[in-house]
Amino acid sequence: MSVWNPDNIKDVAESLGVASLNDDVQQAFCSDIEFRVSQVLEEGLKFMRHSKRSTLTTQDIAQALRVLNVEPLYGYESTRPLRFGEASIGPGQPLYYVEDEEVDFEKLINAPLPKVPREISFTAHWLAVEGVQPSIPQNPTTADSRNQELVPKGPSANPNLAAMSGNDKVTVKPLVKHVLSKELQLYFERICSALLDESNNEYRLAALASIRSDPGLHQLVPYFVQFIAEKVTHNLRNLFVLTQMMQLTSAMLENKSLYVDPYIASLVPPILTCLVGRHLGRDGDALAHYPLRRLAASVISALTRKYSKSSHMLKPRLARTCLKHFLDPSKPLGANFGGIIGLQAIGGVEIVRALIVPNLKEYGSMMSEVLDDENRKVEGDMVVGALVEALFSLEADTVGAVNGMANGHAVEMKNAVTEKVGSLLAEKVMETGNPRLVKAILEC
Amino acid sequence: MSGQPTGNASSGSRPATNGIPSGSMAASQPRPNDPQIGSSNASNGQPGSMSQSNLNQIVIEYLSKKGYTRTEAVLRVESANQDAEGRPITTGSGDAGGVKYDSMRQFIEDGLDIYKPDLRRLLWPVFVHSFLQLVSDFFPKESRDFFNKFRPEFEAEHVEDIRGLATIAFPEHIQDHDLARIYRGNKYRVTLSQTAFYNLIMFLESLEKSGGSALIFIIQTYLNVVTIDRTADQRSSFATLLQRSKEGEDFPAEDEGIPGHNPGSANVDRSAGSTVLTRLKLGPTPMEPDLMADVRAELEEKDMKDPPAEGQNSLVQHFEQQIKREESEEAPTRGELQLPPSVARDVAMEVQKVREDRDRFKIEGRTGGVGPGVSVTMFTFHNTYDSINCLDFSEDNLLVAAGMSQSYIRVWALDGQALPSAIEGEKPSASRRLIGHSDAIYAVSFSPAIASSDPLAPSTKSTHLLSASGDKTVRLWSLETWTCLVVYKGHDSPVWDVTWGPFGHFFVTGSMDRTARLYRTDHIEDLRLFVGHDKDVDTLCFHVNGLYVFTGSCDKTVRMFTVTNGYPVRMFTGHTGNITSMACSPNGKLLASADDAGIIILWDLGPGKMKKRMRGHGKGGIWSLSWSVESTVLASGGMDGTVRIWDINSGNDAAGQGRIIGEGGAGQKIDGNAAQMQASAGAGTKKKSKEVVVTSDQISAFPTKKSPVYKVNFTRQNLVVAGGAYMP
Repeated sequence: MSVWNPDNIKDVAESLGVASLNDDVQQAFCSDIEFRVSQVLEEGLKFMRHSKRSTLTTQDIAQALRVLNVEPLYGYESTRPLRFGEASIGPGQPLYYVEDEEVDFEKLINAPLPKVPREISFTAHWLAVEGVQPSIPQNPTTADSRNQELVPKGPSANPNLAAMSGNDKVTVKPLVKHVLSKELQLYFERICSALLDESNNEYRLAALASIRSDPGLHQLVPYFVQFIAEKVTHNLRNLFVLTQMMQLTSAMLENKSLYVDPYIASLVPPILTCLVGRHLGRDGDALAHYPLRRLAASVISALTRKYSKSSHMLKPRLARTCLKHFLDPSKPLGANFGGIIGLQAIGGVEIVRALIVPNLKEYGSMMSEVLDDENRKVEGDMVVGALVEALFSLEADTVGAVNGMANGHAVEMKNAVTEKVGSLLAEKVMETGNPRLVKAILEC
Repeated sequence: MSGQPTGNASSGSRPATNGIPSGSMAASQPRPNDPQIGSSNASNGQPGSMSQSNLNQIVIEYLSKKGYTRTEAVLRVESANQDAEGRPITTGSGDAGGVKYDSMRQFIEDGLDIYKPDLRRLLWPVFVHSFLQLVSDFFPKESRDFFNKFRPEFEAEHVEDIRGLATIAFPEHIQDHDLARIYRGNKYRVTLSQTAFYNLIMFLESLEKSGGSALIFIIQTYLNVVTIDRTADQRSSFATLLQRSKEGEDFPAEDEGIPGHNPGSANVDRSAGSTVLTRLKLGPTPMEPDLMADVRAELEEKDMKDPPAEGQNSLVQHFEQQIKREESEEAPTRGELQLPPSVARDVAMEVQKVREDRDRFKIEGRTGGVGPGVSVTMFTFHNTYDSINCLDFSEDNLLVAAGMSQSYIRVWALDGQALPSAIEGEKPSASRRLIGHSDAIYAVSFSPAIASSDPLAPSTKSTHLLSASGDKTVRLWSLETWTCLVVYKGHDSPVWDVTWGPFGHFFVTGSMDRTARLYRTDHIEDLRLFVGHDKDVDTLCFHVNGLYVFTGSCDKTVRMFTVTNGYPVRMFTGHTGNITSMACSPNGKLLASADDAGIIILWDLGPGKMKKRMRGHGKGGIWSLSWSVESTVLASGGMDGTVRIWDINSGNDAAGQGRIIGEGGAGQKIDGNAAQMQASAGAGTKKKSKEVVVTSDQISAFPTKKSPVYKVNFTRQNLVVAGGAYMP
């Protein structure tokens, strides 16, 4: 009849010295206890509700007892729900108890203090903007809130509302294919074949000129981007194709009516491949790929000039990649070369000053070894040439009058330059006999 | 029904005073006066004696010998109701209450459809009183069986009451139990149509023999049945009623319930001319002439300095047209409100209000089918471990205060800057702790403030904070020195809510001791005592003109008192859960109140009637409501972790019911066939309606990430600021 176990009454009675208790009395006590317990719970729930909680805590019960003028139970204070253990004292007779571990006092004293709980803090975010919930990490995803009823449903519900709040359970429609007009498709095919046609120079130049200047090609931009990426990835050995792709890229960047901004991220990898790729072109002709790298550098330079403002991470990221390739001795010299001219192309004088010059001394010593090696000397010369060129760019930037180079002075100066850029490059620099350049280098 | 015993008399004659009856529960005790037994037993009227049985035997033998067979048969039948000792056998009489209730229920369900919605409302009070009668007549087992048998059909609407009543087993419990006392001590008011009521009474009288009188007794003693003519009033017409039941809405009518009043009026007594409602003064409070002159001068100066843009009114024009408030019939006078004379700060506030009012982005009503797009900023509190009890944002949106269950209050600046202190030598600090209470804080409230754009004007920042705590006190804190200024001791129980009047100076508190009290900040004792609720006053709200106070209670009623004399002027019943928050519309005409069953009700204050019910929130309490400045949109936030935006002006018909347009959960539709549904309900198979229904006047709902929303607040620029704690 009652939820409360009558045996419990019996036990308590026995502990108080009442040996035999009438069954009816027991039943009556049970009902009464149940009633009192529910009274305490009712009061406790009020405290829970006003604390805006959904779990009843021991504190709520303590407060309820206080309100009912009953001595609260001490020792159960806890901000978290108590854990109950279960023990079986017989078939179908579980006994529940509060899990309360024994704590060794000695251990407790010597243990390091527990971590201080984290401070309460608050953050602000937009839960809704103009009636639409923005999908930011602070807001739940639609999947999270699917089980909640958020919008009115049914025949007279407003479908716009559902759509606005992004909760419409309309199945996602298959992606509509990007419709290209026949003319554009034809144009695209023609351009592609023209670019890849090694025999017909005129045709090719006409194609590039068209891309460079024609308006109305915007729809084709993603296709070109795709085309470039694909060709570059698959034709690393074919310098001609790579060169054409760089030409195409630069042509696209030059076209004023094209909006390339969103595609920069996809355009950069092919260019970088052409700039600092490990092995470009066929083996045999060691110097064949250097013009391509120069071309790629010029494209990069155009790209950064045009878009570094709109995407501010572009420059640093490119510079990081180039620097890595420049300073990695395990990479082939071609890649180093690409790194150098790339850096110069990206940032001009400042980057040369900040990233190239400080590394020259060590790099120069490595280069001396390379130059001694007959097999690699040709390429080494290219690299050194690039470095010198980078240094020359410094000259243009210096201002003010410079004394000519007196002979006695020259030795001193050469030492200073050597100190700065290493002996190999120092020699090259002194060879030019340009005092402004020397000054520029020394000023770095 | 001669000699109808009262409940008290019958329980007084019980051996209950001795404690426990010696026999079994279905004991064979003589209970000649038991109303449950009905007249069939009691009317025998045979005085029991020891030789009764033998005597009967002798008489029967005598009759059969003489051949009076018919007389013998009658005697046999009549004596069959007696046990060996001649006492009337009352076995199962406890159950009889149930049987009678069941037959009445059956009668109602089998009756004409047209009477059903009416008569069904009668079931709950009759059920409760049958149960209480059984308890007080000392049938612990039967009463419990009876209760458990029929409780499922009331679970949806009366879940809390059922939980409260379920454990009552003995007559003493009735005396100890709040709810039972309330039911016993008051008349439950139900409105029925005349014909339906007559039919029922006729049916019950036909049951006279098997105990129908017990039900009539209950209806007579504990119910206040108001019979009305259904054809007279559109609102209570049969068509409306049937429509409602078809839509599956079975809500108590406005005038139904324990303190059953006449709708709109706080007057429970029907005879007292209660149809005449107290006239309310709902207009805005007028400005003092001096203040008005000052504000005008200030505005003129502003206009000179900063001429209005093309197509824009000058501030003075705007003030004249929109804001100016003069004495009128509709508004309280300043003398009535006893507000202190205005100071420079008030002028600055009024000027700023005019300016904001002109330049604000206005939310007009629903246009073109799509409600206005509202922006919500959410402030989420982390690492709280569920210790935040309440939140409040200052009206200038510079500060946020959180009342903790650990008895202290924390105040932060919303822009994250350090809070300076007026006390010399004290360094600015990122947050302030206000320590002083000795129990959990249940409410905090910032004094009125307004964001100022003019650095030269007097400060219009919030200067004081009020807090209500479980230690029975209310404290006033200074936000300049971050110290406690005053302790208001008056309540006898934990204080649940505190809120400032619209002009500061006054505040009102609500407590577990069932009273709400009005204080003035400069007096430590209360000025007014608002009494009337049967249970705790849980939530409070001022009318925008400061003349009225609304109190919401867990007796499921909202009451409206006049501040100046403490008189009750309106009462609103119709909620099925505990009232958790209220908000008065800025135009002063409407009140929104929300309960923990997830329903928001709009009340029209003037006529005192329900405007509509808005449903959508999940169970567990809507902690905060807030109106847009134009009174066209309402924002709500609650336990279910959503902020919802409601359209005030749409989605209603004359019945005052938001039309239900869909049902969640099982996705089961409830158009038509109400009878069938109800039949299954009758079989006790109706599952507890967990589905959340969203009414069509909800504009949008924005779920948060596991953060119950404690506070929503429309700023004067119509931006919603919401606050809640992240509960991973």
